[in-house]
Amino acid sequence: MRQHVEDKEGPAISASENPYADNWALFRRGLLDGFSLPAFMVAASMIGYGALVHSAGLSLAFGVVSTLGIWGLPGQVALIEYMLLGAPLVSMLIGVSLANMRFLPMSMSLAPLFRGSKTGWRLRYLWVQFMSVNTWVGLLRRVPELSPDQRGPFYAGFSTICMIAGAGGVSAGYLMAEAMPFYVTVTLVFLNPIYFAFVFAAMRARAGLLAFAAGAVAGPPMYILTPEWSLPLAGIVAGSVGYFADRLLKARA
Amino acid sequence: MTGEVTGMTTASIWALLAMAIAVTYLWRGLGTTIVAGLDPDSPVLQWVACVAYGLLAALISRIIFLPVGVLENTELVDRVGAAVFGFVMFFLFKKHIGVGTLSAAGAFGVLVWARSQGII
Repeated sequence: MRQHVEDKEGPAISASENPYADNWALFRRGLLDGFSLPAFMVAASMIGYGALVHSAGLSLAFGVVSTLGIWGLPGQVALIEYMLLGAPLVSMLIGVSLANMRFLPMSMSLAPLFRGSKTGWRLRYLWVQFMSVNTWVGLLRRVPELSPDQRGPFYAGFSTICMIAGAGGVSAGYLMAEAMPFYVTVTLVFLNPIYFAFVFAAMRARAGLLAFAAGAVAGPPMYILTPEWSLPLAGIVAGSVGYFADRLLKARA
Repeated sequence: MTGEVTGMTTASIWALLAMAIAVTYLWRGLGTTIVAGLDPDSPVLQWVACVAYGLLAALISRIIFLPVGVLENTELVDRVGAAVFGFVMFFLFKKHIGVGTLSAAGAFGVLVWARSQGII
């Protein structure tokens, strides 16, 4: 049976043949995309965070709300470390904020992807709250095959599964904290950065790859020079190196 | 990391968390506002995406070479060795993210465990 969906913007598409026929199908597609590696990596990383929350004597509710609210592991970890140190409020907030500063260039890259879609664009301030490295990369990978209208539901599905995995992971880590040996806890903490290293190393865009390699080299020395400002500085330097090196290579080719 | 959070009431912990969420959202909201008039394919935004990649790489590399928190209690050679092993496997298996990640994390877990047992 051929079921045709009339669409003002485009030609009629067959619901049985097109996997992206409606919003719900797109949402499910996002759920499935996220349910492969990304959700498991979020869960595993958040198990490590849950153990950290437990060892700091904080509640499980704190663990879950901080995970879904801050939704960026370096900032979450920084918050707990500052609380343990009893740092002054302002320095604590600056530290947490700077640890998650990557969200500035990331949201500048994510939000325009929804332009051209009425609903998608209206919800852009909500989409950026769901944004993590995982959900950002998860959407970027599918951008070429999704129209602006299709991106919102897909991204919502992808983000939903990642957030469920995050909340589940932090709870599991919190409850198992006392039973987890040291080598398991540190491996889970190590998992998050190393996973992202491979996510970006697998990237095809040359400019991004060059920027990533330059950032990896610049990171540690910049941190020794200026711990507080190392991330934005390294980002700008490495990003410019990658962007302009790619342009030079293109001009020569 | 040892010890517990002391000297904070439940209410002040939640108030602090609310502020932490707000200052994190600041970057998300600010970025969204800045780009309102920009074309997604414009050179400026391509440069910004490169900055995001560079910043993330700097963060990852800093965590591996100069960690703060729990990873501080592990050996540099274990962290770097595991990462190098992961990259070798990653390229051997045609840039497979899962193989690279699990090889690196697995190697790291084994190294830390072996040290705790006095094997190495």
